[in-house]
Amino acid sequence: MTTVALPPFWSLVEAHGDELLAHARRLAGDQHAEDVVQDALLRALRAYPRLRHADHLRAWLYRVTTTAAIDAHRARRRELPTDDVPAVATHDTYDEGAFETLIAPLPDGVRTALRLRFVDDLDYEGIADRLGISAVAARQRVSSAIRTLRERLPA
Amino acid sequence: MTPLPDSLLEAVASAAVREGLVDAVFTRLRTPIGRLLVVQGGHGIIRVGFEEEPEDHVLAEVAGHLGPRIVASDRELALTRDTLDAYFAGEGDPHSLPVDLTLVGAPFRRAVLEALHRDIAAGDVVTYGALAERAGNARAYRAAATACARNPVPIVVPCHRVLPSSGGIGRYGGGPERKRTLLELEGSLPTSR
Repeated sequence: MTTVALPPFWSLVEAHGDELLAHARRLAGDQHAEDVVQDALLRALRAYPRLRHADHLRAWLYRVTTTAAIDAHRARRRELPTDDVPAVATHDTYDEGAFETLIAPLPDGVRTALRLRFVDDLDYEGIADRLGISAVAARQRVSSAIRTLRERLPA
Repeated sequence: MTPLPDSLLEAVASAAVREGLVDAVFTRLRTPIGRLLVVQGGHGIIRVGFEEEPEDHVLAEVAGHLGPRIVASDRELALTRDTLDAYFAGEGDPHSLPVDLTLVGAPFRRAVLEALHRDIAAGDVVTYGALAERAGNARAYRAAATACARNPVPIVVPCHRVLPSSGGIGRYGGGPERKRTLLELEGSLPTSR
């Protein structure tokens, strides 16, 4: 049992389900959005009793959905033969192929921070929360990565 | 924005139940006495809410006792739904369904509702005094009346079958009109005016 009074999980689902689906569509495209939401809701349910407070539950569901979308994307990439990637990438809602290629040389943690900032459009608080670092560290991580990328881009 | 499709919600709920991630499941049922919210935990039906009770309050009350992992699923509660549908169509008795009286704090009130659930089948009625006696204290008819008035599992624990010894149909947590409808359905509406 939890020590904080969390609302019944389904009250959250009924209040925010539609916007989570829209969020998943933006991240993963129409084709994968429902799978992403389904996975996200199960992940959220697994973690739910361990939450230490009942604040910002909507933002938390957005983060869980974002993570589910990223993981689904990675899983799909692993399944694809490499020469098929460009064809598939054209179906996506944004040019993630180009974005991923651009950030590919960067360390894993930095790439995750950049995706959270520019793909999921999280603020630094949100990125900090997701990565378990401070907001200041999140901002530094993103801005130094941008500097690095600028230096590498052909003039 | 598009709401989540029912098929997706059912898939989430079923997967969650299979994985053991769920503290309680609820379903909404259309009946001749209005929409019912039926909430079921691992040990049985813990709460039945009439349509005028805010769903959030009912679910939060259950969450406070069983935990917050509450999901909706018509499919997972198919047996409960079928039993209640059949009852409202005039067949069978929902007191065959298991109940969980966790929400009843006072031991005597719980004993009253247990006796009622166990002993009083559709077609039977009982007075508050006789029910108090079945629960072990014949003089505690007022406590028996309170137990019925606050019954968290109406219909399934059939407090509508409890009548005042003075005649008439008496009071009901969901209002006397509902009590009349249920007694009529069971063919045990008192004829006296």
